[in-house]
Amino acid sequence: MDVQAQVLQVLDQTLSLGGRALRFTADTHLLGAIPELDSMAVVSLLTTLEERFGIVVDDDEIDGTTFATVGSLVGFVGGKLAA
Amino acid sequence: MTPALEAFFQAPRGGRPGQRLYLHHPAAGAHSRGAVLYLHPFAEAMNKSRRMAALQSRALAAAGFSVLQVDLLGCGDSSGDLADASWHDWVHDALDAAAWLAQRHPGRHAAMPIWLWGHREGALLATAAAAQIPEPVQLLLWQPVLQGRQALQQFLRLKAAAQLADGGGKGVVEGLRADLAAGRTVEVAGYTLGPALAQGLDAAVLAPPPVRTAPADTPPRAVWLEVNAQPDPQPSPAAQAAQARWQAAGWALEQQAVAGPAFWQTQEIEDAPALVEATLAALTRPGPAAMAGMPDTRQVAA
Repeated sequence: MDVQAQVLQVLDQTLSLGGRALRFTADTHLLGAIPELDSMAVVSLLTTLEERFGIVVDDDEIDGTTFATVGSLVGFVGGKLAA
Repeated sequence: MTPALEAFFQAPRGGRPGQRLYLHHPAAGAHSRGAVLYLHPFAEAMNKSRRMAALQSRALAAAGFSVLQVDLLGCGDSSGDLADASWHDWVHDALDAAAWLAQRHPGRHAAMPIWLWGHREGALLATAAAAQIPEPVQLLLWQPVLQGRQALQQFLRLKAAAQLADGGGKGVVEGLRADLAAGRTVEVAGYTLGPALAQGLDAAVLAPPPVRTAPADTPPRAVWLEVNAQPDPQPSPAAQAAQARWQAAGWALEQQAVAGPAFWQTQEIEDAPALVEATLAALTRPGPAAMAGMPDTRQVAA
């Protein structure tokens, strides 16, 4: 499974979207567009992504642009994996 | 028929102020299988897990266990403000509750050591309390937090996350840590956290408590259960790494991962029936050492 597919799975499970997230594309807007994505969900998302991908997100990396779209989030995770 | 739930307020021992809510689920049937103390997670996870904790407690009671749930200082219906609570207070609350269970079920220790059932940060409390209980205990760890430092980090991040939509986020966690270090309380996600609790949580590490039984006896049991939404759930790498440590410390550690939602953090309140089943199965079966043919010192007394 590629990174985007895994990120979408994590999104779907963390936000209890019932499969909706599996149909998102890179252009799908996240922060501000999905009501389920509140601050608690953002933190759960970060934690699950850290555990699932074995990456560490520094405090100063938590920034609105990361969660703007599926594409930006996948890019963030991809960047961490490549590092 | 399972006897009715007892809900009451209990004063802490040793003259500590206030009172704690105790929910006691008496065991069904004439033959008790043992007693279980539930230690809840921190902050929102406590709320999100209430339903699962209730489902499991009732299932254990129906299966013949007495179960005690306690609200820690500053949490739920217990007295005190979270801002005034310390990790030390919480360990004391756990010890008081364990003592209450023990006096309610006298003479059980050797035959049926009580189970300390800790969920997430509650698992840190369970191991910390077990280290201070001179009698043998058994541990039931649900998705244990391995390092309090990580739990504190995730909690403080909530504030940064809350500001994301406004373009904020950077420097927020650093600011919160500076406040705590300076002795000030901080407000995150509607919770007021004080320096004493932050420090204690930050320093807490999940470690196998000292074994209280003689080397020739059956090793004490620790049941470690995780839940995840993967198709073929496996215990996390960190959990597997803990195996050797716990065994070296003299514990019989059993680990299992079951399929289900991370109910302590999901958006909606969700159930994990597989976890209830796995917990019941683990607590009602003889331990691995007993199954391996060593004498099982746990006899169900008439």
